[in-house]
Amino acid sequence: MLYRTAGQFKTSYQADQALFPVRQDAILLGVILIFAWVVLPMTASEFAFQTMLIPVLIYALAAMGLNILTGYAGQLSLGTGAFMGVGAYACYKMVTLMPWMNPVVAILLAGVFSAGVGVAFGIPSLRIKGFYLAIATLAAQFFLVWLFEKWAWLYNYNASGAIQVPNLDMFGLWVSGPQAASVTQYYLVLGVVTLMTLLCINLTRGNLGRTWKATRDMDIAAELIGINLMKSKLTAFAISSYVVGVAGAMYVFMWKGAAEPNVFDIPLSFQVLFIAIIGGLGSILGNFLGAILIVGLPVALNLLPNALGIPISSATVEHLNVMIVGALIIFFLIIEPHGLARLWALIREKLIVWPFPY
Amino acid sequence: MKRLTTLAAAAALLATGAVAQELYAPNLAYRTGPFAATGIPLMNGQADYFTLLNERDGGIGGVKINFDECETGYSTEQGVECYEKTKARAIVTQPWSTGITLQVLPKTNVDEIPILAPGYGFSPMADGRVFQWAFNIPSSYWDGASMILNYIEQEDGDLEGKKVAFLHLDHPFGKEPLPFMEAKAEEKGFELLPIPVGLKEMQNQSAQWLQIRRERPDYVVMWGWGAMNAGAITEAVKTRYPMENFYGVWWASHDADLNLVGEDGAGYKAISWSYPNLEAPLIADLKEHVIDAGLSQTNEEEMQGVFYNRGLVISMILAEGIRAAQEEFGEAEITPTQLRWGLENLEITDARLEELGMTGMVPPFSTSCADHTGHSGGWMLEWDGEQFQKVSDHLMPETEVISALEKQAAQEYADSNAPWPVNEECNVGG
Repeated sequence: MLYRTAGQFKTSYQADQALFPVRQDAILLGVILIFAWVVLPMTASEFAFQTMLIPVLIYALAAMGLNILTGYAGQLSLGTGAFMGVGAYACYKMVTLMPWMNPVVAILLAGVFSAGVGVAFGIPSLRIKGFYLAIATLAAQFFLVWLFEKWAWLYNYNASGAIQVPNLDMFGLWVSGPQAASVTQYYLVLGVVTLMTLLCINLTRGNLGRTWKATRDMDIAAELIGINLMKSKLTAFAISSYVVGVAGAMYVFMWKGAAEPNVFDIPLSFQVLFIAIIGGLGSILGNFLGAILIVGLPVALNLLPNALGIPISSATVEHLNVMIVGALIIFFLIIEPHGLARLWALIREKLIVWPFPY
Repeated sequence: MKRLTTLAAAAALLATGAVAQELYAPNLAYRTGPFAATGIPLMNGQADYFTLLNERDGGIGGVKINFDECETGYSTEQGVECYEKTKARAIVTQPWSTGITLQVLPKTNVDEIPILAPGYGFSPMADGRVFQWAFNIPSSYWDGASMILNYIEQEDGDLEGKKVAFLHLDHPFGKEPLPFMEAKAEEKGFELLPIPVGLKEMQNQSAQWLQIRRERPDYVVMWGWGAMNAGAITEAVKTRYPMENFYGVWWASHDADLNLVGEDGAGYKAISWSYPNLEAPLIADLKEHVIDAGLSQTNEEEMQGVFYNRGLVISMILAEGIRAAQEEFGEAEITPTQLRWGLENLEITDARLEELGMTGMVPPFSTSCADHTGHSGGWMLEWDGEQFQKVSDHLMPETEVISALEKQAAQEYADSNAPWPVNEECNVGG
């Protein structure tokens, strides 16, 4: 009923391959974009910005970066947290060495550094696959976090070993540091995430995306039909690390405001990997759904008892929260092992043929 | 303009608060997560003190204190979440971890809420000119390091030519005293051997203790937290390091860590600015009004420990700050800005401690607009195999050396975070 496709004819191949072959998809996305760009910024509180909206977007972006590598190109990586760290430290060094630099330019350039590091650690992928590659990226994870701790130049010889985001302005408006308003930061993050999402959707639909998928599904077959595996794998590492690096720079500059090296340790890598897996490997939408489930839901659950007026202690809420989120993850993976994006795709299929079963 | 709007917001809060008749003092507690074992006694002590004030005296100045806990699990992300959640109504924020303190510190200038970080956080926060909203009463880490070195000198004579191993958590917290220790090593001519313990190696410090066995330092000074302390103490026993030459910071004085080794740990010392005085009238009142009334989560054994009693002292500091502000401004429901004044004008004398029934639980101290720490000094505690005993007189840190370092570090912080508002009205040295 809502998703009836009757009457939407396609008269050319181009129309059939359009980004939104079904009109309702475009409308739905339009509604979501209006919500994200207009309704939420006008209604959200400082708390909602800082604990839900901004982190969900940043984590979704990081998961999108990982998804390009793992979901599309089939190269398992456990080093996402460290690549985020490379982006954050690169951005920090750039804005402290060159204070005149526009913060958005610095964030976008920071990704270039993590792309370089990503390619370097991606070279082993030319010879090893699967779990073995995961171990190689794990080495990157440990090495980079160790480097963030020991290389004092990276954090400007700060006694505490942490990086602190300075106040940065852009056209007279504070965009990072304690002086920045949450709504400014939200718009900036949203802008970058929208741009990156558009880029990733089109990359994965295009020629490069098809090479990645071929590499993922069977690399020998891909090689036989003339795909250059080295190029395919290394571009996946480069683009994935670029996106992850940008997410890392925003993670510190647009959200946390300060970070010590162990923030980028393996729990962060796992968190991003969970978002990608629960959201759905090989999908763009899934990253957002996964981030909402893993990052946004616990915050919302924490608020629930108070909102309902149930008097339970904060520590009990935390214990319950861990249990509920854990149970939900298992529940969703049992009903749909391919993630939330696949779940949505199935619902959409059913809606299109409704009221008929097939 | 900013100030006007916050004042307006504060006024609006007062208006709504008039109905509720309470002061909202949230605590960013950690009763879950990897550090819960050390968090629970501290949180219980803090909460029980305010329950006592509410039950026995009807709050402070006639207003009840809503001492609410927001669970962080010691995670920085959840800490910031709690800060954002509570800041609209809160008169104070108690971040409870160096990581959360570092994140919240720059925001308080904008939000204008005092941070109370008793005995932790960033040592240069003592400089009230630069850190107008932050308090680490009654002692900073640099004070602690200074007191330990002074005590060693006092007991064993000159440090010259000695070797001091500095076993620390490789984390902002553990690195905190390093600048001070380095300065002292140069001045006194002892060899400083920093030995970092990574967050992942906290429970397995065999490599670090192998190094200690090889280097044979005369003293080991430990800046440890959570599982690291238990790990270090058991390793020290295993490698037969002489316990009487092993010194810890106040967060390394958790009774449960030492109970693991019992008699073998006898001689281990930790500096502390709080001490459990089980005969104190406050403890009797707590038993009567809070424990027997079933309003507490604590137990008999925990109540005798150093950490529970430290929780009581921390809440006393906050309560006295509230009381001072109420008296100065003549209103019961104070604003965060007024509480800042209160915390800047604490006068905790021996007489006041006696009135509070807390004699011997914390050394007397006072704060000022320029001195946000109070530099109370402390006592050396020694584990006798069953519990911690006070083994020294009141020790004092070398305030002059420290305050010079504090000013320099505070200035560096302000410069790298420009524009950073500095309170020029404060007279330095005042």
